[in-house]
Amino acid sequence: MITAIIRRVLLAIPTILALTALLFFSVTLVLGSPATMMLGEDASPRAIAEINARYGFDRPAYVQYIDWMSRALQGDFGRSFTSQEPVARSIAAALPVTIELALWSIGLAALAATVLNTLPAGGRLLRTTVVALNLVGITIPNFILGIGFIFVLSVSLGWLPSTGWVPWSDGALAHVRHMIMPVLTLSAYYFGAFSLVYRAELKDAYSKLYIRTARAKGLSEGKVAFKHALPNAVLPVITFAGLSMGHLMGGAIVTETVFSMPGIGRLFVGAIAGRDFPVMLAVGMLIVVGVVVMNFIADLLYTVVNPQISLE
Amino acid sequence: MILKPPAWIGLAIIVLVAICAAAASVLAPVDPTRSSVFFLQGPSQQHLLGTDELGRDILSRIIYGARTSLLIGAGAALVAVLIGAPIGLAAGYFRGKIDIVILPIIDLFIALPGLVLALIITVMVGPSLLNLVLILGFVMWPTIARLVRGQTLATREHAFIEAARAAGGGSFWIIRRHVWPNIMRVVAAQFAVTVSFAIITSASLSFLGLGIPPPTPDWGSMVRSGFDFIAVNPSMSLAPSAAIALTVLGFYLLGTSVE
Repeated sequence: MITAIIRRVLLAIPTILALTALLFFSVTLVLGSPATMMLGEDASPRAIAEINARYGFDRPAYVQYIDWMSRALQGDFGRSFTSQEPVARSIAAALPVTIELALWSIGLAALAATVLNTLPAGGRLLRTTVVALNLVGITIPNFILGIGFIFVLSVSLGWLPSTGWVPWSDGALAHVRHMIMPVLTLSAYYFGAFSLVYRAELKDAYSKLYIRTARAKGLSEGKVAFKHALPNAVLPVITFAGLSMGHLMGGAIVTETVFSMPGIGRLFVGAIAGRDFPVMLAVGMLIVVGVVVMNFIADLLYTVVNPQISLE
Repeated sequence: MILKPPAWIGLAIIVLVAICAAAASVLAPVDPTRSSVFFLQGPSQQHLLGTDELGRDILSRIIYGARTSLLIGAGAALVAVLIGAPIGLAAGYFRGKIDIVILPIIDLFIALPGLVLALIITVMVGPSLLNLVLILGFVMWPTIARLVRGQTLATREHAFIEAARAAGGGSFWIIRRHVWPNIMRVVAAQFAVTVSFAIITSASLSFLGLGIPPPTPDWGSMVRSGFDFIAVNPSMSLAPSAAIALTVLGFYLLGTSVE
């Protein structure tokens, strides 16, 4: 087990290096020199040369990459072109917002998908409603869902603040009120996707003998569903939730933009709009590393909860 | 191929959108790019869905926008199949070393968030209709490749493949004549699902400001500009939102409800 984990970690390192190098070179090669990006297209050659010399943009790309990487490993991602703030500080401020949004959304989606699909007594109406909601979650792009929520819950009914974000320290109630719509928006797709996986597993579980045994000894349908079917069907949802964390970043970008939340996604979109090279690079790499790490953790969790599967 | 009832609903929606796209010049009441002084008006007799911030007719822009959405969706799905199917066929049929190299690449690309990838590439090459088709196709191919690989792995174990090999058939011939016809239907269904996800992703890109440049009517961009005026004229963002959602639903239902 330990050697398998070490081997996986050693395998993950070249993957991260390859992906980050690809990102670095494609961004530097295609976007042109960062100096022109900073100064604009019609900057004088002398000013460009000066910037190049000061930041070291005139060195070969691989030297710049190694330099960037070794600084990044020490937590130094350079300074933003637009705000002049250290990139590491911007990321440190934005990351908790995104992580909170992501965890609430994945958690809510997993909880709703398992509980609502397990409820046996709900009957046909509940089942149809859940299937319809799943379809809505999967097929409606989340910026549209977000705008829909804003229109109904803020503009029309005035129940919730439309956009913005309030830290915990400024009041728990205000914080929660600002989080409700973004979390609902981001979790909708995963509610649908998890439900599809879970329903297939549940159907499989219900064909097993232990369900028949449970019924034969006189357990109520509710007990059969929650004590025997659910625990046997929930595992793939947990793995899928872990694997979804990377994909979730795409949704977080859109959701944070709709609701003006100061998270990683909005930082990234802002950096793209402002051609802010260091921020773009740092956030891009953060996402890549995050995806590889999350996949690794999901694999690991899977072997822990299901010993039949090994990492070998 | 048997279509279940939801698939017929999906097909009906797609036909409706396709008619809008094909006959846009006949169906649209006015020129979608013509602005007027009557801006941000609510629904009225002249403008059934109202006008936007430049006084353009929203209904006409939605009808013309069907062209952009269908072109990008179908184009991207086609590119995804053109890249993904050969790779999946090769990995599934030859297995061994080819599979060992290809499978981790597929898995890695599936794990990367498609929208983020599309966002980065679009910034680098610039948004145009052709670029978006190629970018979205490139982002979506791994799903197709994995599906095709799995189907090929299952198909190659059948006796008729062995018979074809015994008859002296070469690998390429067997793949083309015996493997591909057997998995084509599954790929066709996945094609429709891919169209729906391509439309979602391209609309999301437009919403983030990286869509087809104006004045081409594009649903995602319309939602984006309408969002600023949601309290003044809700139909400006809600109407194109409905168009996107309906089209995506159509392709998704068609792709997921075939036997």
